Amino acid sequence: MAALPRRIIKETQRLMQEPVPGISAIPDESNARYFHVIVTGPEDSPFEGGLFKLELFLPEDYPMSAPKVRFITKIYHPNIDRLGRICLDILKDKWSPALQIRTVLLSIQALLSAPNPDDPLANDVAELWKVNESEAIRNAKEWTRRYAMDT
Amino acid sequence: MEQFEQLLTCAICLDRYRNPKLLPCQHSFCMEPCLEGLVDYVRRQVKCPECRAEHRIPYQGVQGFPTNVTLQRFLELHIEITGELPDPNSGQVMERCNVCSEKAYCSMCYHCDKKVCEDCKGAHMEILRREISRINNQIRRGIHRLQDSLSLIEKNTQSIQTNCLSVGEEVEEIYRRLSKALKDRTDYLRGEIDRYLGTELRSLTNLKDNLEQEVSNILSNCDLADKFMSENTDIWDDCELMDAKEIFLKTVDFIRNFEYENTDYSRKVRLVLAHDPNQLVLHVAGFGDLNIATPSHPFGQSSALLQPPGGGPGLMRSKSDHRLASQFRQNEERGYGERDQDETLHSGRKFGERHQRTGGESTRYDRYGRGSGNDYVDEYESETRPTRSRYSRFRRHNAPENDSDTEQSSRVRFQEQKAERERVLDTEDVARGPLSGITRLADSPRVMKKLQENESGKKKEKEAPPSLPVQPKIVPKRPPPPATRQVSEEDEISKIKKQNKGATTSNSETDRVTERPTPDDRHNTQRKTTTPEAASDGEESEESVSSLQQTQRKTASSKTASTGRRPSDLGHKKAGRSPSTESTASSESSTASSTIRSTGAPFTTEEVKQKFLSRGGSASNESDTRSRLSSVSSNKESTPHKPFQSRFLNKTPSTPPPPSKEEDEETETTSEEETESEEESDEPVSKVESKEMAKSDIGPLLARSAHARESSGDGSRRTSREEPPSMTKARYGSQKEESPSNRYTRNKAVYKANEEEPQRYSYTSRFLNKSKSSAAIPPEEDDHSRYSSLGDDENKYPSGRSRYMALKDRRQRLARSRSSQQFGDEEDADEPMSPTSVNPSAYLASRGYGSTTSSSNDLARSRSSHALKSRDNSPDRSTATEKDGAALSSWARYLKNKYGNRTGGKDKDSNAASSTTSGSSSTSRRLSLGLPLRSSTDLASSDDDSKNMQGSPTTPTAATAAAGIAVAGTFPRSQYLQKCQQLFQIGSRGSETGCFTWPRGVAVGPDNSIVVADSSNHRVQVFDSNGRFLKEFGQYGNGEGEFDCLAGVAVNRIGQFIIADRYNHRIQVFDPSGRFLRSFGSQGSADGRFNYPWGITTDALGFIYVCDKENHRVQVFQSDGTFVGKFGSMGSKEGQLEHPHYISVSNTNRVVVSDSNNHRIQIFDVNGKVITQFGTEGSDEGQFKFPRGVAVDDQGYICVADSGNNRIQIFHPDGTFLRAFGCWGTGKGEFKGLEGVAMTPNGHILVCDRENHRIQVF
Repeated sequence: MAALPRRIIKETQRLMQEPVPGISAIPDESNARYFHVIVTGPEDSPFEGGLFKLELFLPEDYPMSAPKVRFITKIYHPNIDRLGRICLDILKDKWSPALQIRTVLLSIQALLSAPNPDDPLANDVAELWKVNESEAIRNAKEWTRRYAMDT
Repeated sequence: MEQFEQLLTCAICLDRYRNPKLLPCQHSFCMEPCLEGLVDYVRRQVKCPECRAEHRIPYQGVQGFPTNVTLQRFLELHIEITGELPDPNSGQVMERCNVCSEKAYCSMCYHCDKKVCEDCKGAHMEILRREISRINNQIRRGIHRLQDSLSLIEKNTQSIQTNCLSVGEEVEEIYRRLSKALKDRTDYLRGEIDRYLGTELRSLTNLKDNLEQEVSNILSNCDLADKFMSENTDIWDDCELMDAKEIFLKTVDFIRNFEYENTDYSRKVRLVLAHDPNQLVLHVAGFGDLNIATPSHPFGQSSALLQPPGGGPGLMRSKSDHRLASQFRQNEERGYGERDQDETLHSGRKFGERHQRTGGESTRYDRYGRGSGNDYVDEYESETRPTRSRYSRFRRHNAPENDSDTEQSSRVRFQEQKAERERVLDTEDVARGPLSGITRLADSPRVMKKLQENESGKKKEKEAPPSLPVQPKIVPKRPPPPATRQVSEEDEISKIKKQNKGATTSNSETDRVTERPTPDDRHNTQRKTTTPEAASDGEESEESVSSLQQTQRKTASSKTASTGRRPSDLGHKKAGRSPSTESTASSESSTASSTIRSTGAPFTTEEVKQKFLSRGGSASNESDTRSRLSSVSSNKESTPHKPFQSRFLNKTPSTPPPPSKEEDEETETTSEEETESEEESDEPVSKVESKEMAKSDIGPLLARSAHARESSGDGSRRTSREEPPSMTKARYGSQKEESPSNRYTRNKAVYKANEEEPQRYSYTSRFLNKSKSSAAIPPEEDDHSRYSSLGDDENKYPSGRSRYMALKDRRQRLARSRSSQQFGDEEDADEPMSPTSVNPSAYLASRGYGSTTSSSNDLARSRSSHALKSRDNSPDRSTATEKDGAALSSWARYLKNKYGNRTGGKDKDSNAASSTTSGSSSTSRRLSLGLPLRSSTDLASSDDDSKNMQGSPTTPTAATAAAGIAVAGTFPRSQYLQKCQQLFQIGSRGSETGCFTWPRGVAVGPDNSIVVADSSNHRVQVFDSNGRFLKEFGQYGNGEGEFDCLAGVAVNRIGQFIIADRYNHRIQVFDPSGRFLRSFGSQGSADGRFNYPWGITTDALGFIYVCDKENHRVQVFQSDGTFVGKFGSMGSKEGQLEHPHYISVSNTNRVVVSDSNNHRIQIFDVNGKVITQFGTEGSDEGQFKFPRGVAVDDQGYICVADSGNNRIQIFHPDGTFLRAFGCWGTGKGEFKGLEGVAMTPNGHILVCDRENHRIQVF
């Protein structure tokens, strides 16, 4: 395994030194490209108060390709499927090397605040979100309470 | 400021911009690797990471984007303001790391000689450090050897001091005794003279007084008579007159009768000396010589100096896997590196040197220059300093990143100056080990500086905090010294950069320029302080430096060699001096010998000299006694001959010298026929010589037989040369008593007949010499047990011989006889001159009053030869002669001599018996004569060698061998010297026919077929001599005809296959068609049981020799499996074995065993007595690491598969190194795990290349 690129080192250092409020990303002990991430549910969102665990992996050609991010904590969100995969453009085709771990995680946090049922990944959730938003939000709150708060 | 920083940071790499490129969207990114990584090569466009704008890439690629000059200015400004260090990588171009393939700023890694990134380099440096510490541990473990040597040296110093003291006392004592005796005698003689004088004087005065009185009395009487008788007076009456008359008559009578006994009193005193005064003076003048005992190491005298006696192999290469690793690496690189790069790798780099690869023609040229010079230097070095490599090994241990061995150090001379300077740790002002040339690191200014910096390193870090984080080279895990080195270097660079700030427009060229002078400057200053002469610039300094180093090295390495040589010089001087004291110079001796020859019996210059000294006298007798004296007093080895010689003295007078009749001898047995043919062949040659001797009193017989012996070519001592017939008689006598064999009784009859028929005498004597020699020798030896054993041998031989005779046709014999004549001719050429070297020293020794006890004669000779040899140019000869001459213990020499002489099947054995100087001495003799050596007289010498080492005359094939040599002449040596090119190879991995899985044993069948023990396929495969598959037999199992990892294979004379079935712990025998005949043995350690039998072989008589590996012994069986004997036990002493692997028997019944874990080859006789051994652990010439396969060809040359070194070594029959070839690898002529070897009658060498699963034929 080749040594860690300087950029990853720098980013990690900065993440540790100047953590983003509401986000913590800690590199794995055995693999510096693997991060244990915890994102707090944004205020004024159905996910408020929840602590969502994610895993983030920086691929070999990072920053030229996007990091792989996945929710570990179950979450009721139209853009996040049951496996925790996230539908986010910057993680796909809109990735830019100028983005960083911190920006990605901020984007994810923002995604929690502003679900986008028009570009769904979990179709049933998106459907409910579109048809009956209040119920969907209630579900989301329920899930958050159930899965993201008991720890 | 924070934001300012951020503005100067590339969004992609988050680092300070490096060569920022401005995209059309006005965003800037580093060119490499950031922008490069963004390129979409398919669409030839780049997408701005910031604004996602897509831009077409210019034709030249991303560097076609304009550089953001403003940003660059800002960067510079920022650097100026903050004082931070500039990016060390600026101006460099990123490349792919050759190890991890990451794109990075790569630099040369001197560990793997590739351009690698920092991380890989760090890892490699870590490896190096680990290696160094490991090697350091080895050194620590091995240093005791040097310390042992040190204590040994101290002990030796003491012992030499005490020795010299005691010898000095001895000399003093003798001096006292001699002077006391001289004084006593002188006093006594003086007293006697005085007494004599006194008595004589007394009697003389007495006489004088009496006489005077008489005279006066008579005169008065006369006067009285005159006065009174004439006057006629009658004073006197008649009575008185009568009385007077009576008185006067008496007086007359008295006067008449008186006669003075003149002679009585004029006796002269003469000093009569018991000895000739001149001789006496000479005796006293040379009343003693200092005899320096010859060291008894058969090998590498100089290297042996370093070896503590009990100390094991110590620091050997085998223990450093590093060695293997580097070898592997070397091979690998050779595989896909360019040749010239390889060259630089091995040649150019020295300890710590880091040279810039500027590329281009100039370095290339240098490389070539260096490369071409190398061979020369190597050659030179190997010639002059055979022990070199030993030290270079140490050196290499010190500098493990060097892949090359000796080359590395030898190439210094051809280094360009720059490289010379960059040799950081090894400057010329460093203290060096005088023996090894190892520099003392602590003395190296660079190292000192490093250490100093290391101590103040923390301070420094504080001093330059901004710089450090930027330094990519500083890896935290790195131990201090290299890290600080980096720092220091970069500090300097930075300083210089600051100085040249104006010029540092991040231009690559300027960087290079600034970087380069730094080390130079440093070194220059160092030099100035230390060696002013070296400080001068230009070629001169280069030369001086290199020459300095060269000389240092030379002295370092040659010192040991010279210590080895020094005694030889001494000896040489001694030898040289001795003749000078005599009236005969050594150069005259050839003429001298010829004069002797004309006198008849004596052939030695000694005798001539003695004759000179004794001034005549009955020449032959006296000189005989003297020569006997000399031989007795001078030489331990020759003492055994005393009885013979004394007998000779008795008998010589009675030996009539008529010429021999050949016709009579036709009636002899076949063996006699042999001799006869030789005799005939010798005849014409000898006649030429015998003409000279025709007049001699002892006669042509002696001359001729002596000559015949001469022509047999053995460098026998002249002292014993004189009396062949008598000697045989003597020997014969002893034989008669001790050996009851039929053969000898028959000989006895012959002998009796000879006594009756003196004409035949000469012939028979020679015959007797020959046929009996082997048996005749033993009685001379100290241990008589040997004798009986050899007698047994003798008994065995006749049958073998008859078989041989049946096998061989007459033509061969003809050839042989012709060849033996050739022998004679060749030997004649140098024989006459040989006495020179032998005799002066011998004579000198003979004059020594017994104080020079043992082998001073030998010593002098061998030493002188040694000295001469050291002048000699051919390296292989030097090693050989070293062994021949100086290093051979007298015992070993004796053995060698004995065997050597038994071999030829000629009357040279008489030499062996009569004189203990061996065939080797003939070499040394030649050497000491200053004759052109082997290199030039190759024919004669190789001949010599092979002759010496031939098998006993009684072995069936010996005669053939002799014939073979004579016919082929230089055949084996030159042929083996040319070996290294693979002729062909058989097989690859697999279990099909013609494929192998770990072939182990190989053997050659009587029809030259190649028999391979395909070990892990549990079968035997047979190929014809061209490698075409013929047949296979056997399969896995433990039943009849089944194998379990068979190892050794042998084929006996009748084509039966004898297989060491290793894991079944048994031997199986198959008939020539591969059908099972029988098996014997089972697991165990009792007689006839085995523990992993490995190598196997069979001799001419069908005896089976098995290397019983885990029982550490060799067992011998009859061909039907009956246990005959065993020898060897676990251990490393002489005659002991540790994991003997392979075995081979020469046609002279020398049993060659690869004593694998003792890293040596031992040669036994058929009864398990060690004849000789050679080899130590190591990878130099003649050293082994776990030797495995051994093979002996029919001329006695020994081929050894040196498995640990992955090479084949070939040795002369006497165990001196001849040639080595092969290395680790899979290519042609490369080996991986050697196993058995075999030699075909036509000189091919078959090698089992185990891990390559093939047989290679050379």
